[in-house]
Amino acid sequence: MKLLTHNVLTSKCIRGVTVGYPLLIKATNVKVSEVEFKPDFVAKVLPKIEWDVLANAAESLGHWQNLPKELPNNYENDTDFLKKIHRVLLEVEVIQGELICPESGRKFPITNGIANMLLNEDEV
Amino acid sequence: MSQNVEPFKGLKKLNRKLAKLHHILKRDINISTVSTPTNNLVLCNSGLVNGLTEDQVFEHFSKHGEISNITMLPGKSCCFVSFSKKDSATSAYECFNGKLNISQNNRPVYLSFVEEVPKPSIEVIWNELPPGLLVFKNFISTEEELNLLKLIDFNHEQCGLLKHRLVKHFGFEFRYDINNVDKNQPLDQSVPTETDFLWLKLAQIQPEFKGFKPDQLTVNHYAPGQGIPHHIDTHSAFEDPIICLSLGSSIVMEFKKDGTHTCVLLPQRSLLVMSGESRYDWTHGIVPRKFDIIKTKLGGYTCLKRTTRVSFTFRKVLSTGKCECFYRSKCDSFLNCNIEEKMAVQLEKMHVHKVYDNIANHFSNTRHKPWPNVMDFVQSFDSGDFLVDVGCGNGKYLSNNTHTFEIGCDRSANLIEICRNRKFEAFLTDCLSIPIRDNCIDGVISIAVIHHLANESRRLQAIQEIVRILKKGGKALIYVWAHEQVKNKQKSSYIMQDRKNRKGTKEMNGQCLTSAQQVSLDSGNITLPVHSNRSNFQADDLLVPWKLKGDEEENESVFLRFYHVFKEHELEELCLKVENVRILKSYYDQGNWCVLFQKM
Repeated sequence: MKLLTHNVLTSKCIRGVTVGYPLLIKATNVKVSEVEFKPDFVAKVLPKIEWDVLANAAESLGHWQNLPKELPNNYENDTDFLKKIHRVLLEVEVIQGELICPESGRKFPITNGIANMLLNEDEV
Repeated sequence: MSQNVEPFKGLKKLNRKLAKLHHILKRDINISTVSTPTNNLVLCNSGLVNGLTEDQVFEHFSKHGEISNITMLPGKSCCFVSFSKKDSATSAYECFNGKLNISQNNRPVYLSFVEEVPKPSIEVIWNELPPGLLVFKNFISTEEELNLLKLIDFNHEQCGLLKHRLVKHFGFEFRYDINNVDKNQPLDQSVPTETDFLWLKLAQIQPEFKGFKPDQLTVNHYAPGQGIPHHIDTHSAFEDPIICLSLGSSIVMEFKKDGTHTCVLLPQRSLLVMSGESRYDWTHGIVPRKFDIIKTKLGGYTCLKRTTRVSFTFRKVLSTGKCECFYRSKCDSFLNCNIEEKMAVQLEKMHVHKVYDNIANHFSNTRHKPWPNVMDFVQSFDSGDFLVDVGCGNGKYLSNNTHTFEIGCDRSANLIEICRNRKFEAFLTDCLSIPIRDNCIDGVISIAVIHHLANESRRLQAIQEIVRILKKGGKALIYVWAHEQVKNKQKSSYIMQDRKNRKGTKEMNGQCLTSAQQVSLDSGNITLPVHSNRSNFQADDLLVPWKLKGDEEENESVFLRFYHVFKEHELEELCLKVENVRILKSYYDQGNWCVLFQKM
């Protein structure tokens, strides 16, 4: 699971959970694998994401690389910055661990990089 | 007839043969033959299983006197003829025993006298009309008959050729593939006004049918020897009543319900009205033969030679498309209605989720080529856009774009595993609750997924979920399998993959009617038809086999996947039930109904 995916995931489908966002990450195995860097893509994605959520998630995994706490202005041409963000968004992957619903504490296992978001019949 | 009678060969041989046959009769149906003449003869070696028909028996034996009864026993190689007079029976016996070659392969038939004739398990009733059935004799004059016949020229006009008869439609085409009309496609020729006088006449005789005005007419042309298989006119297709005018020839129509089997004579120029129970609960059909045996009022039989019959069947299309009759066991509206929620959950678990996990590898190996229209949609997005593939399978649409972020999700762990091995971003979820935030996705595709949901509220919920995760202005493309596998005379590639289907369009319609069978699920009391692969669909909700070959040839296992196949406009209507949906495009693509919509 990439952190860009984590940025949109929620547990709000659980009955009784209203926001279910952001999900906490507890990782036992994190891998960084190279993905082709496309500055234009990263620049276009940034306005769409929740910066704080990304920052906290990356920090909890130890991959924030001292990036700023707030999304800076004029990042479009800052290749260094975009490269770092590219790494956070697409290259850092949780291979093993779990996602935790902030409201109910329900755990969703992550195995072999795949988050299992399936709910039981009595949870929906 | 003379060529059928061989010269008498030898008494000894005949007696030996008869003794053997008598023994079989005794053992098989517990009938003892007698040596002294009676009114009843048994044809010891010939019956329904040998292809002998009632009219063949009648044709020969009636030459010896009045027949009072013919008893054909289902599944037996013997039958019985009873005469009004003993002399007639004796005469027939002497003339035909061992000499009349109407048994199988033109072998001679062997006869004996019997005291009593067994009663067939299903007795044919004569001239007792099923409830709701009316026959008006001489409803029209010979002149009116001629005028009506002149309306249709089967020699020159365009008409359909069914396996057993010629047919022409007015108002709406009756489609034999779906046993229904397409309400949205009226024909240029509506029901001829020359038939209007019938309804005034009917209202006078039978005031309850005042106001009946059909908007659909099917004209059938039956040559002698042609018939129509037993059927009930689709409940949801037409209103009550269904009315049939017989022109050119009289005919016997059979009606069946449960164990009851009744024969009704439809005289030339008569009007048949099927309403109530007779319309909804009884099947009707015409046996293909050249003459009808008719039971007379006195109890005897007489024969009626068929000539060319033209029938006008008048029907009124049921505009709501939903039948509300009480005859539920025969009612498609009732039978096809929603599978209840609990059952739907079990059905999907057993016949969708488990199946895909079992067939994942084989399924994935058969899914390489992306469909061009889906590809065009996927590639229409801007750089940095988020795309979600709901029910991504092996991820065949996840790798075609380098400038968007694509996430796949599926219900099958084994399919998601395949995506992961192909380095695609994917997670495991059910499409009924997608774990993605509201209003954050630019594009969604859901290709061949929603048809696996077992009732309408679940299918609606899946679309609601897609709409929920979409941004305002975001677009989604949904594909579902179509009930209609032959569209505009073009067969879908699914149908075409069966070599048998590559010839004519019409042939297929006939052949697949028989191939559906029923299986019961052990998850509950639901019975669904099993689809015969590469044929037209016979039901909306059905099980489709997936054959999985093992390591060795004989190790083939069959998995049944649940499908709800969509009728034309059904997907559009479902999408429009969700708020903020604007349909941009709705089309048919290779056996699928497809909707492209935008969130407002």
